[in-house]
Amino acid sequence: MTIEQKQAVYFQNVSKMYNTGTIALNHFDFPVEEGEFISFLGPSGCGKSTALRMVAGLGSPTTGDVTVFGNTPEDLIKNTNDIAFVFQDANLLPWRSVLDNVLLPLELRGGNKKEKKEAAVKVLEMVGLKDHLKSYPRQLSGGMRMRVSIARALAAKPKLLLMDEPFAALDEITRQTLQMELLDIWEKEKMTVLFVTHNVYEAVFLSSKIAVMSARPGRLSSVIDVNLPYPREPGMRTDPAFSKYVGIASASLENHEQRKETV
Amino acid sequence: MAMSEVEMTKQQTALAEAGKKKKPVASTFKEMYLGPIVAFVLFISLWQLIPVVLGLPHYILPKPTDVWEATVSDWALLAEAIRITIFESVIGFLLSAVIGIGVSVLLASSKILERSIYPYAIILQTIPVVAVAPIVVIWFGAGFNSIVVISFLIGFFPVISNTLMGLNSADKNMDELFTLYNASRWQRMWKLRIPAAMPYIMAGLKISCTLSIVGAIVGEYVAGIGGGNGGLGYAITVAAIQVKTSFLFSCGIAAALLGISFYLLISLFSKMMLGSWHESAMKSEK
Repeated sequence: MTIEQKQAVYFQNVSKMYNTGTIALNHFDFPVEEGEFISFLGPSGCGKSTALRMVAGLGSPTTGDVTVFGNTPEDLIKNTNDIAFVFQDANLLPWRSVLDNVLLPLELRGGNKKEKKEAAVKVLEMVGLKDHLKSYPRQLSGGMRMRVSIARALAAKPKLLLMDEPFAALDEITRQTLQMELLDIWEKEKMTVLFVTHNVYEAVFLSSKIAVMSARPGRLSSVIDVNLPYPREPGMRTDPAFSKYVGIASASLENHEQRKETV
Repeated sequence: MAMSEVEMTKQQTALAEAGKKKKPVASTFKEMYLGPIVAFVLFISLWQLIPVVLGLPHYILPKPTDVWEATVSDWALLAEAIRITIFESVIGFLLSAVIGIGVSVLLASSKILERSIYPYAIILQTIPVVAVAPIVVIWFGAGFNSIVVISFLIGFFPVISNTLMGLNSADKNMDELFTLYNASRWQRMWKLRIPAAMPYIMAGLKISCTLSIVGAIVGEYVAGIGGGNGGLGYAITVAAIQVKTSFLFSCGIAAALLGISFYLLISLFSKMMLGSWHESAMKSEK
């Protein structure tokens, strides 16, 4: 029990079977320490999104338990702002301005109006959109929309940030910029981040630890500790150590046997 | 001579410049409007010619000039009829908009309610209102009240079915976002479902506004005028009995123009409501 409480997220022997009989996740056991940047890396159908959604209470395990800071996800969502979720699509309300989109989570929770606005402007400043408060989503580029989406997630000061392939639809240049910004924010805000991706380079560049998953049925195939120092600079992408981790991650993606990699 | 020559060239260059500037305007005019205008003129001329060539009397097929004369001579009658029809259909339309949207929001806020009542709303929609109009007259009496109720009934169902569809059209991810922030049912309704339904609601209102005019006219056929002043429906009935075919054409054209202006007005309103974000309102901007 004491170990459990230290964990930000704890998957305990989690399995998920859909009504269709598909096993999305099979005996998934995985602890996430507080303050870590974890990536779930795997092909489509490996259950990485399913696992992430369970942490947010958007779906419950068929068997096993998911605990977040020692509580059930449902309890945390009901009573706190600890969990925030960033979808693959920016998922902004098209009829609301940038500022109003970021204000949404704060509005839904109630509280002081002026403070809320200050908080929203602050996070928008953090993602470099201070000059676009009054713009509407359709006036922004894909990268800027994703920035708004991240700002919205950060607005309520979450302790755990869940991201479901947030950069998958962006071009490579924008993706790299946003990766850097995300790392900056993570280091500043000292949150725990769970990041779902199918991009090996992205997983290695961002994460302190990678959970490699394989499909049919979805399961954990290996865990890679990425011992590269933070803050990570763009130049690191060409570093031999970086390539080595990319190699390890790619190899374990191909390898379907369960094993633990430590380097 | 020299002076006038200089002036001539000046004029020519000025003309040429004006011509150059006007050219794009003229060409868009040619592309956009020339075709419809030519078609219109051809149609009117044919219409004017055919009764003359075939020797049709004016009470079978009046010429456009006959229609014009009838419109001018009976203008007072026509204007009053138009005014009354506008009044009836606007009230009918407003009722169908307010009640239609209200009932939809109520239905959509409870899954059980919606599941149990929506199928009937669909079935009711298929009942031709003309068929039940006499019942309305029995309940609401001859004249104004019944006419408004018939106009309301015709416009009501497009609003309710469109609004319900819209209220259930919110993106699944956005719905999950609201779940994540523990939004209450009413927060979800006001901040997500109703705004997301706006384009659908506007589409419903556009259908319903022209139908409400149909409802007002049909209502007068069935419900009479109950001692009050008559609208277009009444004017049409009277003119038909007297075989004033030219005036019947005037009434028909007036009703059509009324429908078009009502539709344009609602379209404008819809553009204002959706202007800031929705794509259907954006297309003209692009």
